[in-house]
Amino acid sequence: MATESENLEGLVNRRYEHGFVTDIETESLPPGLDENVVRAISARKNEPEWLLEWRLQAYRQWLEMKEPEWAHLHYPKIEYDQISYYAAPKSDEDRPKSLDEVDPKLLETYDKLGIPLHERARLAGVAVDAVFDSVSVATTFKDKLADAGVIFCSFSEAVIEHPELVKQYLGSVVPRRDNYFAALNSAVFSDGSFVYIPKGVRCPMELSTYFRINAANTGQFERTLIVADEGSYVSYLEGCTAPMRDENQLHAAIVELVALDDAEIKYSTVQNWYPGDENGVGGIYNFVTKRGDCRGRNSKISWTQVETGSAITWKYPSCLLRGENSVGEFYSVAVTNNRQQADTGTKMIHIGRNTRSTIVSKGISAGKAQQSYRGLVRVMPQAAGARNHTQCDSLLIGKDCGAHTFPYMEIKHPSAKIEHEATTSKISADQLFYCRQRGISEEDAVNMIVNGFCKEVFKELPMEFAVEAQALLNVSLEGAVG
Amino acid sequence: MTRQSQEELREIVGRLPTTRDEDWKYTDLSRARDITSRWLDAGAETVAADIDEEIERISGSIDATWFVIANGELRLPDAASGISAERLDDVPAAASALAELNSALLVDGLRVRIDGAPDKPVGLLFIDGAADAATSQARVEIEFAAGASGEVVEYHASQGAQDHYSNTIVAITVGDNANAAHLRIQSRDLRHVQTTHTTVNTGRDARFRSAGFDLGGGLVRNDLVIGISSPGAEISFDGLYLAGEGQHIDNHTRVDHRVGPATSRQEYRGILNGRCRCVWNGKAIVHTGADGTDADQANHNLLLSERAEIDAKPELEIYTDDVKCSHGTTVGQLDETSLFYLRTRGLDRQHAKQVLTHAFAAGLVSRVPVESARNIVSELVEARLRDIIHSDEDFS
Repeated sequence: MATESENLEGLVNRRYEHGFVTDIETESLPPGLDENVVRAISARKNEPEWLLEWRLQAYRQWLEMKEPEWAHLHYPKIEYDQISYYAAPKSDEDRPKSLDEVDPKLLETYDKLGIPLHERARLAGVAVDAVFDSVSVATTFKDKLADAGVIFCSFSEAVIEHPELVKQYLGSVVPRRDNYFAALNSAVFSDGSFVYIPKGVRCPMELSTYFRINAANTGQFERTLIVADEGSYVSYLEGCTAPMRDENQLHAAIVELVALDDAEIKYSTVQNWYPGDENGVGGIYNFVTKRGDCRGRNSKISWTQVETGSAITWKYPSCLLRGENSVGEFYSVAVTNNRQQADTGTKMIHIGRNTRSTIVSKGISAGKAQQSYRGLVRVMPQAAGARNHTQCDSLLIGKDCGAHTFPYMEIKHPSAKIEHEATTSKISADQLFYCRQRGISEEDAVNMIVNGFCKEVFKELPMEFAVEAQALLNVSLEGAVG
Repeated sequence: MTRQSQEELREIVGRLPTTRDEDWKYTDLSRARDITSRWLDAGAETVAADIDEEIERISGSIDATWFVIANGELRLPDAASGISAERLDDVPAAASALAELNSALLVDGLRVRIDGAPDKPVGLLFIDGAADAATSQARVEIEFAAGASGEVVEYHASQGAQDHYSNTIVAITVGDNANAAHLRIQSRDLRHVQTTHTTVNTGRDARFRSAGFDLGGGLVRNDLVIGISSPGAEISFDGLYLAGEGQHIDNHTRVDHRVGPATSRQEYRGILNGRCRCVWNGKAIVHTGADGTDADQANHNLLLSERAEIDAKPELEIYTDDVKCSHGTTVGQLDETSLFYLRTRGLDRQHAKQVLTHAFAAGLVSRVPVESARNIVSELVEARLRDIIHSDEDFS
């Protein structure tokens, strides 16, 4: 038992590895939110009139909405007046044209995080749209993508360069007043990524973006829009780390995916934001609206996520299965430790005929953490032949943690085949004993068991991410014995 | 007859849950509110329908010591050994608007105590039927004394086809080492609305087995809340809901594991045909310190019609790690190849469907915890299945 508790101690006391603040002057708006702030953000980004109007409408709608309270989460009330809604690296005027021109301090930051921006980016074959605070500072591999006709740029750039595409798809999956945080994002979103894959194009490389929250007291409001035109394919990777700080930070992002006929989008996330310390001080508040719209026939959207960070997570990547034969997938590993709280899951809305969805959710809860799976599978009356399989398993490590499941199933068509299964348990003493008597150390045994528990999800991740995900999991959990 | 003024009663009716309450998201009690308001408007007088014949018929079908609550009025049986009964003279403070309504309008409450091992089950016949729209309340407290071994059969029935709303509260305590079997049969008229709230509290090493069969009713909501506060409890309960045209049947269950070790398992099955909607919401909460808990939930549904809807929600809330919890839910149809197989054996399609749906329900019927009632349950299920299947607008 001694080693168990020591191991557990080691786990609990592990410091956040990515905790540092890069010392760069940022040009921020003063804290607070009113119409002038919305106008100021829009003006700084030289946005066209229609987008400003769109933001203002969102802001007015947000004012009328109430912060949701149904989630199984407990956190102090967010003071929206104390947040600065815009921060950009100061060198905005003379944006770097190439990596050489990039502020070395920035590069250093990325270096510490292991972002493959420089040589490594080329080797890894990954194009990176690095979002530092709110403005994109460098984009690589643009030429190669341009050859294929793929548009991959920052959101602000897309607004200027491809207004017709942005206008057509912005808010078409997550409407402005979808929910409280979506409305807030729609009003003050700073930047993000825009991807358009033309008809019949298979994107030649995996697209990746790294989100970072850096300047203190700056909520970050990312907006990602990915459109896969007919017959196209794209795999998009999103990875996040954030520096250590003691004040809670609000992050309310929106991700919209649109898949037209025969298109496929694979969206993978590794989220490792600062979770707060062992007493629950600090950490990111992560309130994200992610939704994919399988608009076309035979389209497919797949969400894969590994969530280990954030103090509070409120996140339900969803699929609207409109197109006939469209497919939605959700694979998730969520790890909560110390006093982290996560209320996460997915929604699969079956609208078209013969639509299929798969949900595999693995939750690991340790320390004093509380984790909930909240899912909805809805089969509309016209969705003949709908098929869903849901599996959500929880692993509990320690006496004081919690794991909860709230799956909703609303089935309005008789030809639907819906299966849901869930289990909750701890690492069994038998499994541990078996490994131990084969000469495997307790720590390795737990790692093996946990990795085996998550394997179904990890195998869905692109290679680069699978490695990172395993490392993250080990950081979070090795040595923890139930 | 009421102890409270019309205004106070209307105020309570106004506070009955709506679909804006998460727990009532899928079940709309407007009909109950409407019937109660009409009844209050008409002076809150209930003119009972002629129900004696029906009481005879039902109480004759199962050999039990029958307590009859007809339109809320209690009829006590002759004394039986091991069973003591009295009218309730006080009711605990109400925890919800439905309970308040029950307390406010309750005519007769009943307390039954079971000692030792009575020869016959305790029968509780809740039967309602009036000449006009009416509302009735029932409240029964059942105590299984320590070491007792007994059976309870609840039968909820209607007479006549007037709108009626009945609101029933049943509180069961199972003493240390007691062994309790509980059966609930509900075969109300389609114009009847029913809400039942059943609480069960178990003592050390107590055993509670239960089964509920919802065969009728226009709008039915059953809440079953089980609390385990002493170690060693063994809880097992089943539910079968057979819904046809125009029915809405909602089963909410909640098991609170406050201490361990203890076991709870539940299995609900539903067969839906025609325009109908069923809801199943199973919740198991394992509180901090309830180590050694083993909780299992299962819910399986057959949707046989384009216009049937099932809303299922298996919830687990777990606050400790030494647990084994699982749930499984399925929604599906009859297997075409099985149907085809039976057709090749000369059965017509309806008959083949009946055979398969019967098989789907058979497991629960064979587990009916009150043995003397198993045959009658089997017959009732069979008859109801026949009705449901034959009202079919074959979608396939």
